[in-house]
Amino acid sequence: MSKVVGIDLGTTNSLVAYVKDGVPVIIRDEGNDPLVPSVVSLAEDGTIYVGREAQRRLLTSPGRTVYSVKRFMGRGIDDVRGEASLLPFGVSGESGGVVRIGIGDRQFTPPEISAFILRELKHRAEEHFRKAGEFDFEVDRAVITVPAYFNDAQRTATRDAGRLAGLEVLRIINEPTAASLAYGLDKRNRGTIAVYDLGGGTFDISILKVEDGVFQVLATNGDTHLGGDDIDIDLMSAVLKELAASQDAAHESPVGRNFSSATIQAVRKAVIAAKWDLSEQQATEIRVDAGPGLPDGYRRRITRAEFESLIAPLVERTLEPCRQALADAGLRPSDIDEAVLVGGSTRVPLVRRKVEELFGRPPHSELNPDEVVALGAAVQADILISGRREMLLLDVTPLSLGIETMGGVVSKIILRNSTIPASGREMFTTGVDNQTAVDVHVLQGERELAADCRSLARFKLRGIPPMPAGLPRIEVRFQIDANGILSVSAREQRTEIEQTIEVKPSYGLTEDEVERMLIESFEHAEADFEARLLIEARNEAESVVLATEKSLRRPDFGELAAQELRPGEREAIETALAALKDAMRGDDREAIQEKTHALNHATQHLAEVVMNRTVREALAGKSVDQVR
Amino acid sequence: MSRFGDYFAYLGLPRRLDLDMALLEQRFRELSRQYHPDYFYNASQKDRLESLERSSYLNDAYRTLRSPISRIEYLLGLEGLAASKPASGSPKVPPALLQEVFALNEELDEIRELRESGGAAALLRARLTSARKPIEQKRDAHERQLKELSAQWDAAQDRATLEALRDCMLERNYISNLLGTIDREMSAIGG
Repeated sequence: MSKVVGIDLGTTNSLVAYVKDGVPVIIRDEGNDPLVPSVVSLAEDGTIYVGREAQRRLLTSPGRTVYSVKRFMGRGIDDVRGEASLLPFGVSGESGGVVRIGIGDRQFTPPEISAFILRELKHRAEEHFRKAGEFDFEVDRAVITVPAYFNDAQRTATRDAGRLAGLEVLRIINEPTAASLAYGLDKRNRGTIAVYDLGGGTFDISILKVEDGVFQVLATNGDTHLGGDDIDIDLMSAVLKELAASQDAAHESPVGRNFSSATIQAVRKAVIAAKWDLSEQQATEIRVDAGPGLPDGYRRRITRAEFESLIAPLVERTLEPCRQALADAGLRPSDIDEAVLVGGSTRVPLVRRKVEELFGRPPHSELNPDEVVALGAAVQADILISGRREMLLLDVTPLSLGIETMGGVVSKIILRNSTIPASGREMFTTGVDNQTAVDVHVLQGERELAADCRSLARFKLRGIPPMPAGLPRIEVRFQIDANGILSVSAREQRTEIEQTIEVKPSYGLTEDEVERMLIESFEHAEADFEARLLIEARNEAESVVLATEKSLRRPDFGELAAQELRPGEREAIETALAALKDAMRGDDREAIQEKTHALNHATQHLAEVVMNRTVREALAGKSVDQVR
Repeated sequence: MSRFGDYFAYLGLPRRLDLDMALLEQRFRELSRQYHPDYFYNASQKDRLESLERSSYLNDAYRTLRSPISRIEYLLGLEGLAASKPASGSPKVPPALLQEVFALNEELDEIRELRESGGAAALLRARLTSARKPIEQKRDAHERQLKELSAQWDAAQDRATLEALRDCMLERNYISNLLGTIDREMSAIGG
């Protein structure tokens, strides 16, 4: 049986985990890195890079590198226009349709970009299982997490991404709930928990009751466009404004227009580093190195106090959903037994203070806020496959589901915070004699008018038997499944004929489009393979470089070289080392492999010498008995 | 009515308005464990569909019986006394409330006119707050009445009590809408 994994497909970083001997573990790469940065870069030759490699390319080829694609999933161009000027990649699309991301002369939809990231995670897991000696190391099933406040379109986009990556998505589960699963394992808790999840792009607050192994969500709320990225944008804007002023540029907003993508990305990298510093220190410096658009570079001191006043409105925005969720759950802050922090952005001290103020107790973050969601996803995957019934997640739908009726008013069918699976029914009839089809417009949201809610899809119910107007009794059934995704069925009650349903998703891909993309992805498999080989070559080169430099740094190296190495050997090593480091700056895989080989060869003798010394030092002062 | 029976029977609870909440929660958890799709992942298509339907029904049952008001409304529906929604337009004023409703509507009209012609917000808010008091008192009276009637029905299970419950619910719903109207006017004044 092939393996199942849990995947946290995050805005900033993604992770993959599985349950090993009853305990969830993160699958790390050879360098022991648990994270895969959610960054995708497309080189001119068509090679696709994902993760750290792509992250490097944010600075070298920003126009061809995509980050935070999660912010575009299930969204339209109107939702993201506001931040377009700070993005190095192009975004476009028709109003009311899927966002298109432009790289070079190719266009991608957000699920396609996310699929590249998922494929990378799939490979990482397969490599891990293969190296562990598993006979069937293939990974083709996964549980993938989404923010609790994600709507139907956003969830479906995530599931589509899974399909495009060659994964059967066992379940889409909510991030705060997943975190509570991982947390529950550790603490064997019972009580009422509030999970405050502030990630790179999204904010969720979930209130759960844990009892008897059942994790029951009472209410959930959030903002799917609020996260660490917005903190970065605030900082970037402030820096770019200062730069523009100092350069005397006459600037109109958006401020990004005055600077090249490379400059903007360099500023972004600098403010992120400063933001991290300020979680540990009271002050730091924002440093941007001199570059083409910035002849003098940029340096500016920033204190934690200044940072906090800049981001205070943003943190304040997270508190209203918290109050709403508590109200929906019928609870006061004092009813909460434990508050849990999830997501990298909860490392910011101001966020922690505000959460502590709100719930009247210090929040928990013993589990790594970056890893806890993936661990929970792995636990859920295990539950699905093993059929063990100790734990159960009972989640809710975050938004009310309704249909548009006369006058543009929304009639609610399933209320927000209803436990899922949930279903609702509505009766329809025809307005014209012999009408054979009826249109249903489904929306999500809490407002009264359709125009103020989020359009989910338009369903066309076909095959209504011809009858006088008003006679057909069409029962339309709305089913939200355990993924939080809607499906619709319809039946005319007089004749008991099932209607066929044609779905036109508002911000998503149709079935045909997904099929077509699946076919296209096979065509690009070759390019992906090349990218993989380059990454492997680089990793191997890196480890040889590190080992060599470690030896060269030994305190006894001078003496060792004089005693043990042949004349010219040290110089040969240093030359080979420099040559390899030089090759690593480029993308020529063969050159890197060649120079790695050469360095290995040049250091072979040195390696033996060092090994002998190490053994001798270990044995020194030990008797024969001790060694045995 | 569904092929699964009524909500009370489905949850294995007596048909009473005063429910043991701890028992309700426990049965909900037990039945969730029995029906939830997560435990039917490897099952046949037929079993998975059944699990989806049963757990949807279970969740509906739990949500309805958990709150006292929806519990009463559901029971009334079961017994054929649904406090039905009007087909169109606004609901008729329950006879017992005619006086209060008349007085409130007059006061609301005046307040609206004053607001539209630029009356002082603080003054209007004060008037609205005092207009709201008798309506709130009516709501509190309804809550008490519903509790009494619920206990009465649990003891006797007679039709007369059911009808009294229905009338009380109709009035209560009407009062809720009135309070909503007052709150909206308050927001309009608040500015």
